[in-house]
Amino acid sequence: MISFLLRKLPSVAVVALISSAIAFILPRLAPGDPALAIAGSDATPEQLAAVREQMGLSKPLIQQYLDWMFGMFRGDFGQSFIMRRPVTTVIGSRLESTLELAFLAMLLMIAIGLVLGVLAGSPRSKWARVVLDIMTTLFLATPPFLTGLLLILFLGIFFPILPISGEVGFFEDPWLALQFLILPALALALPQAAIVARLLQTAMNSARGEDYVDLAKAKGVSPGRITWRHVLRNSLGTAVVALGLRAGDLLAGAIVIEAIFARNGLGSLAVYSVQSRDYMVLQVLILGAVILAVFIQLFSEIILAALDPRIRLES
Amino acid sequence: MTDTAPPNRQKARLNPVLSRYLQAFVMPKGQIGLGLVILLTALALLAPVLFPGGYDMQTRDSLLPASWAHPFGTDELGRDIFVRSIYGLRTDLALAATAVPLSMIIGTFLGLSGALSPRLGSLVQRALDIIVGFPGLILAICVVLVVGAGWTALLVAIVIGGLPGFGRLARATFLSQQHREYVVAARTLGVSNWKIMVRHILPNAIDPIIVQGAVFVVAAVFTEAALSIVGLGLQPPEPSLGILLNVGMRYITMAPFYILGPTLILVLLALAFSLLADALNSTVNRK
Repeated sequence: MISFLLRKLPSVAVVALISSAIAFILPRLAPGDPALAIAGSDATPEQLAAVREQMGLSKPLIQQYLDWMFGMFRGDFGQSFIMRRPVTTVIGSRLESTLELAFLAMLLMIAIGLVLGVLAGSPRSKWARVVLDIMTTLFLATPPFLTGLLLILFLGIFFPILPISGEVGFFEDPWLALQFLILPALALALPQAAIVARLLQTAMNSARGEDYVDLAKAKGVSPGRITWRHVLRNSLGTAVVALGLRAGDLLAGAIVIEAIFARNGLGSLAVYSVQSRDYMVLQVLILGAVILAVFIQLFSEIILAALDPRIRLES
Repeated sequence: MTDTAPPNRQKARLNPVLSRYLQAFVMPKGQIGLGLVILLTALALLAPVLFPGGYDMQTRDSLLPASWAHPFGTDELGRDIFVRSIYGLRTDLALAATAVPLSMIIGTFLGLSGALSPRLGSLVQRALDIIVGFPGLILAICVVLVVGAGWTALLVAIVIGGLPGFGRLARATFLSQQHREYVVAARTLGVSNWKIMVRHILPNAIDPIIVQGAVFVVAAVFTEAALSIVGLGLQPPEPSLGILLNVGMRYITMAPFYILGPTLILVLLALAFSLLADALNSTVNRK
């Protein structure tokens, strides 16, 4: 396992380096001058120069990039231009909200995806199959924001069961926090769960045609045991890869979901930073998102290697 | 749906390519899909004729509930939300009608570029992989960051977002066809790379790309809506389905129809193009 990870290390480092360069360059391509925004539109050229000097914007770009990179290794992520606080503090104050949302959404995605997939991938009556098919297609076709809006309308307004706007920290009041979390998490999870379910269903249907299933049937193994021990075990690899790939989209979906449910997480911070052209916050957020997606993918590969010994031997 | 004509048999015999696609509208899902697309497009195109008052006609009756006079109620300035939704649909369809063909053409060309030079082909593939690495809305936000929020940013974001999908389909066809006898024969006869790409490989790639085009219309409209909800898409007062949702969120408890109306139109639009894509897909694969 350790040698497997060591072999993956160079490619992760390269991706991290490239994405750090992209995260650094992109915000700086944007029109508008942050120094002007801070100093005010009626600032004299001398004042502007002073602000630039103070923010380190007068240095050459490559110097700024290296300062940023080496700073991060020392735990210094820079200062937010707009909020005048260290980037770590700004992000830290928003982190909990998004982590809770992403964690619950991930759990729901795994649970719903597996249940729907296994149900659809097992022998069922024609009607059950049609109902399951329609459900998956519906979830698949509806993006998180539409699911979120419909959930708000039906469970928040027409039948006011759950709160629809705002949030409570999980460690302050777990029960209330869950009530605020469940709708946004569900909206995020459903479309991704449907994709996982579809893939799992296809994998299970093809596994069902394998010789070992016929052998098990001939031996008189019960249908339930065939599904769980033979078919599902051999189809889980697909589901795990799918889960790893969907995690990135799930994070991207959090941006809209936070806006709809009025949550103060990293997604709304990202939108605010785009609107206020706060490079220093944005570059860390973009880099963080890409690296996180890489690590989740790596993690799913590790699980895959644990499930299937062939992968460890081959690579 | 009564407004869908059955495929014209006379024409079908004249043009075998067209008749293959027309087969899709023999199926019920193709008919429903086409009917809805025609209905929505007609509403969007005729909006200035049907509602000559325009989308900005303010009255004193703000935030009225849904009624026969105002099917979705009125907004905070007393404007009819149904009328605004139709004008919003017009904006979204115009955006999709510009962005989707652009993305389709550029993406297909990029996917087939391996026919011009193998090195160009793999370089393009590498570039498309980077685009795929940015999940969903993050790519669009990066575009907004560079271009600035508005119509242009949305157009660019949608076009770029679609490139990997179209590119991959075209590339798959290219890879499966490039060593076929007819391509090798054409090459031996001295046909130019460009002509091989356009005349010989492209016709084989066109079916899945047209299906993907119908699927991508939905993705394009959803991108507009998602970005506008966040506040990084189109900017008010220009009406779009996303903007209506953005503003409507503030009044959701007082006027739920403010959200429900535009949502309904989005769902209809998604349903229409998904059914159309589905019908086209099964026709094309039947061969």
